Amino acid sequence: MASAVLLPKLGNSVESSLILAWHKAVGDPVAQGELLAEIETDKATLEVESPADGLLLARFHEVGDEVEVMAPIGVIGAAGEDIDELRPKSTAAAAPAPPTPAMTQPTARIPSPAASAGSLVRGRPASSPRARKLAAARGIALSGLNGSGPAGRILERDVQAALVGQPRLTPVAQAMLREGGYNLPPRGSGPRGRIRRRDLIPAPTPDDMQRVPLRGARRVTARRMLESLQTTAQLTLHAHADVRALLALRQRLKAGEFGPALRAVTINDLLHYAVARSLPAHPELNAQLADDHILRFRHVQLGFAVDTPRGLYVPVIRDADRLGLQQLADEARRLARACRDGAIRPEELEGATFTVSNLGSYGIESFTPVLNPPQAGILGAGAIHLKAVQENAVVAFLPHIGLSLTIDHQVLDGAPAARFLQDLAQRLTQIEQAITPAELSGTNETP
Amino acid sequence: MTKSIPIDPGEARRPATITAPQLPANAWRPDPAADAARYGSEGLLRIYRDMLYIRQFETMLEHIKREGAWNGIDCQHGGPAHLSIGQEAAAVGQCVHLEPEDFIFGSHRSHGEILAKSFSAIDKLPDARLLRIMESYMDGAVLRVVEGFTPASADIQQLAQAFTLYGTLAEILGRATGFNKGMGGSMHAFFPPFGVMPNNAIVGASADIAVGAALFKRINRRRGIVIANIGDAAAGCGPVWEAMMFAAMDQYHTLWDDDLGGAPPVLFNFMNNFYGMGGQPQGETMGFGMLARMAMGVNPEAMHAERIDGFNPLAVADAIARKRATLEAGRGPVLLDTVTYRFAGHSPSDASAYRTREEIDLWRAQDPLASHAAYLLEQGHGDQDALDTLLDEAQGQLRRVLQAASSTEHSPRLHAAADIAGLMFSGGQRARMWQGEPEVLLPLEETRLKVTRNKQRFGLDEAGRPLSPLRALTFAEALFEALLLRFYDDPSLVAWGEENRDWGGAFGVYRGLTECLPHHRLFNSPISEGAIVGTAVGYALSGGRVVAELMYCDFMGRAGDEIFNQMAKWQAMSAALLQMPLVLRVSVGMKYGAQHSQDWSSLVAHIPGLQVMFPATPHDAKGMLSLALQGSDPVVFFESQRLYTLTETLEPGGVPVEDYQLPLGEPALRRAGDDLTILSVGATLYRALEAAEQLQQRHDLAAEVIDARFINPLNYGPILESVNKTGRVVLVSDACERASFLHTMAANITQLAFDALDGPPAVVGARNWITPPAELEALFFPQADWILDTIHERILPLPGHQPTTCQASDEILRRNRLGV
Repeated sequence: MASAVLLPKLGNSVESSLILAWHKAVGDPVAQGELLAEIETDKATLEVESPADGLLLARFHEVGDEVEVMAPIGVIGAAGEDIDELRPKSTAAAAPAPPTPAMTQPTARIPSPAASAGSLVRGRPASSPRARKLAAARGIALSGLNGSGPAGRILERDVQAALVGQPRLTPVAQAMLREGGYNLPPRGSGPRGRIRRRDLIPAPTPDDMQRVPLRGARRVTARRMLESLQTTAQLTLHAHADVRALLALRQRLKAGEFGPALRAVTINDLLHYAVARSLPAHPELNAQLADDHILRFRHVQLGFAVDTPRGLYVPVIRDADRLGLQQLADEARRLARACRDGAIRPEELEGATFTVSNLGSYGIESFTPVLNPPQAGILGAGAIHLKAVQENAVVAFLPHIGLSLTIDHQVLDGAPAARFLQDLAQRLTQIEQAITPAELSGTNETP
Repeated sequence: MTKSIPIDPGEARRPATITAPQLPANAWRPDPAADAARYGSEGLLRIYRDMLYIRQFETMLEHIKREGAWNGIDCQHGGPAHLSIGQEAAAVGQCVHLEPEDFIFGSHRSHGEILAKSFSAIDKLPDARLLRIMESYMDGAVLRVVEGFTPASADIQQLAQAFTLYGTLAEILGRATGFNKGMGGSMHAFFPPFGVMPNNAIVGASADIAVGAALFKRINRRRGIVIANIGDAAAGCGPVWEAMMFAAMDQYHTLWDDDLGGAPPVLFNFMNNFYGMGGQPQGETMGFGMLARMAMGVNPEAMHAERIDGFNPLAVADAIARKRATLEAGRGPVLLDTVTYRFAGHSPSDASAYRTREEIDLWRAQDPLASHAAYLLEQGHGDQDALDTLLDEAQGQLRRVLQAASSTEHSPRLHAAADIAGLMFSGGQRARMWQGEPEVLLPLEETRLKVTRNKQRFGLDEAGRPLSPLRALTFAEALFEALLLRFYDDPSLVAWGEENRDWGGAFGVYRGLTECLPHHRLFNSPISEGAIVGTAVGYALSGGRVVAELMYCDFMGRAGDEIFNQMAKWQAMSAALLQMPLVLRVSVGMKYGAQHSQDWSSLVAHIPGLQVMFPATPHDAKGMLSLALQGSDPVVFFESQRLYTLTETLEPGGVPVEDYQLPLGEPALRRAGDDLTILSVGATLYRALEAAEQLQQRHDLAAEVIDARFINPLNYGPILESVNKTGRVVLVSDACERASFLHTMAANITQLAFDALDGPPAVVGARNWITPPAELEALFFPQADWILDTIHERILPLPGHQPTTCQASDEILRRNRLGV
């Protein structure tokens, strides 16, 4: 009996994964538990093992394919076994619907071809040769067009529609464009914006460019960031916090004044600590937008951005508001290392209720972090810099940290966000009071 | 079906006994004194010489096939060689009394007959004629090679013998200097100037072709008889029976002009070597006992049939002399059951598993060559030295012939693709096959032309309203006019088929021809579709022009070999030596169900060597039929029965009264438009025009409609011009969709106009079903709606269009999965 190899379900929010590599070819013998393939979810790389002994009879997806979790990616079984039953529906050799009895009462059943979704041919929208030729001659990208032909095929008229309002080209410019090596400027220098030969922009040669496949974390990030900007109402507030006390505390920690266990605590850990302790008092911000309601969380699942050679990862510190400083620092260090080593588990990348992203080490003073939906807030931390402050008629240059808070205005308004920032800045400024004496004395008990 | 011969029930129902004449078997008795007087020693030695040449020639081929060499000369031959060792007396005896103008048609086993008939003709033709034949044949290409290896001392007859041996061998070896440039090969080699007509690799296929050639001689008052040399196994082939029925028709005596001379002079000679490949007609695969018995079923004279001794050349020669007299008196046909035996296998691969060594030895003990040699010595016609000298001469001659024929320097092969493509069609345009007064019964002015010429030549009145087909010229009448004008111009033109005469053709196209043409130019044939086409092939390759008619194209199945292998191929297999001015009219039916309503134009489109025409308007019908009737190539001419009563509504000038020809292969633009092209074949033109009108009215789309008119040859130029402009094309015909010729057109358009296409070329054909009852035909044949539905589903969605049929891509998959 052949058995399907299913794409493992990794954590609740993972809907699909990319196939990174196949380690077996069709026809190879495999043993149960043997490595079959590597896949990559939103943030993690995982191995898929063979569920049985036998031959790899089929691979339904190849490297680079994005596959839904729990969908079959292959079949293990004995040579010659019928595997049609196990074939995923989408690739089951075009087995369209049950046969429609011809002729009896045809009118009611026949769908309009234009109603069907745009079909893809090798990943590109289907288009007629005539449409492609015109698009190439006039420098129109087919990917942006809506096809009006059967099954959404892009027809010549669709390209023509896109050409309306496009600048006309002189025949020479058209010929040059057809031959390649030039890009179109938005407007030309000819009458009514007609693009002439000299207006064409030389295209970079292949030597000047590197083609980087969009995959893995990059692909996921690309999709989610665009989704974020398209589906949320983002508002960013900037503030600063006086960090004289923070820096002093960090020096003392480093010097081992509070015991060796706290020597490795970083400024970022202190920031996490302050955020985690501030958020429970601001439930508007530790929240998510659902379909017709808002979810507020009692505890803080704190995501923090980790830059790795394979892209941006955001591991999650569980119940951060209930961790002591040292626990928080240790967990952050463990997660960051796991990300850099590629050993992070998918569930460790899921479920954050609020995120902190720190670009301070790069000297960035302030920026506008992009929300990680469905979270309602993300805090960006900037570099510590000197800021002129007037105290008692004296202007002093005092170290400040830049704080940039992006919120989803759908979930909360600017004022509660500002109050959180204010609260956080206060907590940072008086960091020693914010940290329980027990922690600082090294007893290290969970509050 | 003739009014002049009433069928009397009193006669038909009267008790009677059917008798048949007793047929002689091996009745010939030797009479050495009489033979000596009849042939002289020289004649009797010549018979030996010819048999010896055949035996040596075939033995040489046997060595070449088995060992790749003969007498130390290497020669590789990849093709067939069906040898006639043992059958020499039957071949040579047959030709003793044949004249050069007599024709023999043969089989796959006819090398011996080629040599025998050629040597006979060489003996009888004057030197000057021989030289002229050799010098003119392929512009002397064969002769130049032969002169190169023939000793200067040779006389013209010896040169002509070397010419025959070389031309035949080079043909067998597939050389460009062979009699048919190597395109015929062993099984099809022939040489018309000596009366050696096509040899045929389809068993029995020479029978009806020979009848056609005999008709050619009779109808055109030419000299000579025609012999079909076919095997004993051919007695089981339907077309052979059809050929005998065709040859034995009463009408040659009851209806045809007496001065023509009676029945066509055809002799069916069954070379009875007792084996059809490995099957044995006598005792195994047939039941006639002696083959000659089958003649008893053909006519009261039992075809003057005899079994004769084909192992004795003098018995055969005597029989031919007697039968020739019967044929020349117009009392044919004749059947001979010529007993012979092949010592060699059917072919080199034959291990003779179906017969015993003992049987072969029994026949070898009576070897016709050795027997005739013994007879010559016994009767003092020559001594052993004379016979040995003949053997030496033959071997020396064959050695020189083989050396030349196996050399690629002297005997190259055709190699350029253009050489072979250039042989497929003769491409001649000739109004008359020869000058002369056509035989007619009425002056042209008094024919039905006086009626048709006065009809309106355009089918719409000045207000654009359609005229009644009684007032305006119809499609059928346009065809009639084309035929009539050709009949009154080309003396060679004849027509036959079922119901062609009094009835006027099943659809009235020939109405009016009966009154003005004698029977021998237009006659009813038996319902023998194979022979209708086969005889037409024989008539055409003999040099005459002929229109054969099959009533329904569904009946082409009955004439499959004659259309696919004979009509289509003889021009190319003869290396353009022969022409095939044969027009086969077939109609495409409707309303008559599954076996009378099929458009089989795609079937013939697949066969190389055929031209295929399918007019859709009266103007085109006349101009295309006239074109076909002036050409030298075989044409299958399709006529849709939907169109016979249609008037001309598309060609503004209407149908000209005078004769005219359309350009070959040119499609016609029927409606201009920029948005879409509809390419139609045949009667679907009118449904295409209806669809174009709906597209204009309802969707503001201007469709261009092109009527292909021709299927092969076809100029794609205007079609591509249109598709390059519109980017969209629907193809439509009444042929079933699967493997329709439309798919060939669509594939060509896709390849040649790919970048211009805004959608896939879409084919709309009839459903892949049998044709349902008349009332349900709208479900089967393409309708205007189907064209719109197809455009909507596959090419360009039509806003608001409500399809009535499913033409979506999924439906194509489903139908193919089910095979319907």
